[in-house]
Amino acid sequence: MSNLLCYARNRSTSVEQIDEGTVISTCRLQDTLTDAEVTIRVRLPELEIAEASGTFQRYGPKSCSQAANALKKIAGVRIGAGMKKIIRGLLGEITDCDELAVLVEECCHGVILAFTKEMLAQVPKDIALEKEFFANMIKENIRLYNSCAAFAPGSPIVEGIDPP
Amino acid sequence: MLKFQRTKLVDIVNNGDNTITVHGILDDHIYHIEIDLVIGCDNLSIQAIQGKWLRSENTECRRAIPFIERAVGIKIDEEGFSQRINKYVGRKSCPHFANLIIECCDAAEDAIQVMGYEAARVENPGLRFEGFSSAGKSAAPPQKSSNRPVSLPVEQREAGVKGTPLQRDERGYYVDLHMHSYPASQCSTANIDDLIVEAKTIGLDAVCLTDHNHVWSLNDVEDLKQKHGFQVFRGNEITTDQGDMLVFGMYQDVKGIINLGDLRELVEAAGGFMIAAHPFRGFLVFNTSQIGMTVEKAMQRPVFQQVDAMEVLNGKVTRPENDFAAQVAAGMKLPATGGSDAHAISDVGRYVTCFRQRIENGEDLVTALKQGDYKPKMYHKFRQQGEHDAG
Repeated sequence: MSNLLCYARNRSTSVEQIDEGTVISTCRLQDTLTDAEVTIRVRLPELEIAEASGTFQRYGPKSCSQAANALKKIAGVRIGAGMKKIIRGLLGEITDCDELAVLVEECCHGVILAFTKEMLAQVPKDIALEKEFFANMIKENIRLYNSCAAFAPGSPIVEGIDPP
Repeated sequence: MLKFQRTKLVDIVNNGDNTITVHGILDDHIYHIEIDLVIGCDNLSIQAIQGKWLRSENTECRRAIPFIERAVGIKIDEEGFSQRINKYVGRKSCPHFANLIIECCDAAEDAIQVMGYEAARVENPGLRFEGFSSAGKSAAPPQKSSNRPVSLPVEQREAGVKGTPLQRDERGYYVDLHMHSYPASQCSTANIDDLIVEAKTIGLDAVCLTDHNHVWSLNDVEDLKQKHGFQVFRGNEITTDQGDMLVFGMYQDVKGIINLGDLRELVEAAGGFMIAAHPFRGFLVFNTSQIGMTVEKAMQRPVFQQVDAMEVLNGKVTRPENDFAAQVAAGMKLPATGGSDAHAISDVGRYVTCFRQRIENGEDLVTALKQGDYKPKMYHKFRQQGEHDAG
């Protein structure tokens, strides 16, 4: 029996810093049904969305065909805690196209992960030092405590750290 | 040069026994994870899941694997599916596994629709997908909920109170200006009565209810005051396109995300007071030098031109974020407040605002906020030291 795929999806997000004060993040979705793309231009150091644009090609939900026009609504939104609620709220005023919000969120997560990657480049290779590095990170940002399995009670990383 | 790239791949195979197998890969500069899911086509629930790490952030990430099984049994089409996965898998296992599961399940819903279309086309070869999906359940447009601000006829001002002269009090008057109760705030675990009892027990003078986009009725607040013999004020934490705002003295029920300028107009019209809540929450996750943030640059953010004060001690943000907010508020000569942002009983009173005068009612609270004669305090710390009004 052959195992042909009945469906395939590829979602790719790329982030580029074009100058000291600007980051561009693009998320492209291609799957059996949809071909769509959103790009956001992010202003530093505010981490604010300065501009957003996008396209929906091929079949997507009907509500998405004109949805990209809604993207101007998110200019000024800051990337960070609470952004999902704001993005969904603002886009939801104009469109029922859920995928549009997903594409924007993926762009925003890409920006956050791009800066996270730079911070993680400083993690020591030695395991004991690695533990110390992450323990200090949690102490400085206690919200991370118990935010995932690696930072949960029982993990050596949080040994000796008081819960918030 | 590319700074970061993430690719997510989802492949789906029809098993022919009313189930599908979904294989997902998430590969980026930091992580490489893979999952295999089996999903029932009839009940749309996750029947089995397996996952593995190929690259991760740290050596303890492997601990996430057993917890991804918490996704088994969850129906992929149920309302709040993403939130459930983020809560049960994201926080216990790993947010990146949760992200990939949500991606795979979204694709699975599409795939089941495609399979239905292929089956229907056997009988009706001319059927187009657009026509099929617009008649099908999964393509039905979701109910649109208006996010425009809605004004309900709620009291504009506290009834029956006048601006009674404020009495000076030597100790100061400690108010937790920022707290959330369940069910008014779905993110809170704290019952309103328990919050008030805790505030009373630890020696606060008053609390202010600031549930998310929720207006407490004056009668309910009066009932709580009588029941507990304790001062209770009402405010509102309203989400704007520029972040969360604590609003006092303006009792319109604002739903959805409101434009900050529009909220400012409502607050001014009502004679109210608006505070930028946790203005730098999550702002300093990276080194400020990484994104070039300085106090001077932060002071130029337009959002701060629209507020009356800034919350510089918030119980849910990091110390550097609070410190940074304090520097920005000082630089802008904006009054500074403190509040626990309590979502659980143990959070109550972590930070408070200490007023110089006793506050008798909601109108007095707005008057006192406008006078600016108050300071944010680390209440718990001082309570443990037995000195409530240090600093």
